Amino acid sequence: MKSTGDGIHGELDQGALEFERRAQQLLAQSVERLPAATRSRLTRARYAAIASAPSWWQHSLARRWVPAGAGALAAAVLVVLFTVVPRGESPVVNPLASAAPEDLEILADSDAVQLTRDQDLDYDFYEWAVGEAKDAGASSVGT
Amino acid sequence: MLAFANLGSQTSDLLPAGIAQLRESTQDGARALETFLAEVERKAFRIAQIALRHEADALDVVQDAMMQLAHRYASRPSEEWRPLFYRILENRIRDMQRRRMVRQRVMSFLPWRGEDQEEANDPIDQAADTGPTPPSQIESDQMMQLLEQALGQLPGRQRQAFLLRSIEGLDVAETAAAMKCSQGSVKTHYFRALQALRSKLGDFSA
Repeated sequence: MKSTGDGIHGELDQGALEFERRAQQLLAQSVERLPAATRSRLTRARYAAIASAPSWWQHSLARRWVPAGAGALAAAVLVVLFTVVPRGESPVVNPLASAAPEDLEILADSDAVQLTRDQDLDYDFYEWAVGEAKDAGASSVGT
Repeated sequence: MLAFANLGSQTSDLLPAGIAQLRESTQDGARALETFLAEVERKAFRIAQIALRHEADALDVVQDAMMQLAHRYASRPSEEWRPLFYRILENRIRDMQRRRMVRQRVMSFLPWRGEDQEEANDPIDQAADTGPTPPSQIESDQMMQLLEQALGQLPGRQRQAFLLRSIEGLDVAETAAAMKCSQGSVKTHYFRALQALRSKLGDFSA
């Protein structure tokens, strides 16, 4: 039996110490002399207790594997980020991808680009010319 | 993508080793728990038996305490098991004592009191051990009986402090943790228990 020398013994007189020692001896003997039937029941109880602990094992498994799984997932995400996106460069944006079809037509037609770039265009002249063309078409239909 | 592929192969290399290590540590944990329970079960039974004065009830509370420890606290560090186990045991003993009090009150109103008397009068339990017994053992048994009676008359906390220290050999700090009280209270309970036992049993020498 482990000695209980933790301050209490210093405060006991000789008679109390002797009494304590005798009581400990008797109690230890009574533990050793337990009937075989009782010991057997205690062993069965112990096995039942151990068998009732699967939830502890599952809990233990989960507790170990959840952080490990999270770590592996984070590592995989990092690897994907570093391999797919080149380091130190911003992603290249293709301007054609977001362009409207009209813009593409203008770019394809070099004359049209030239027209849009010419700031000295006489828009009044073109409006007049279109009007004249319409009028000429209408008079020819009447004749 | 090559790095990703490498990571995959490394992970597959690591997994079996990890699972084996985990299985091993789980088995170690179960073994440690079994060793601990085997070490404390008889002492716990005697503590419960002295408190309850009933073998079957004592077995029940010890089994409950073992199951609760295995089920709820097995994942705690093994150094914490002993005070935890004895705290659970004491709670179970108290529950059993309360249940008995209620049962006794209920039974006192009933005209018949079948089960308990049948249990108490079980001829197998009552049969005397006919094997030879040395005189020193008879004397020890008689003294143990006296001690047990005196312990049974102590207030619960005094009995608990005395038994945890005398049977299990817990120190003041461990006893305080098991009893969920201060170390000063443990000392007070212990001294009072010792004083009460000495006044009842005298010198109690062999």
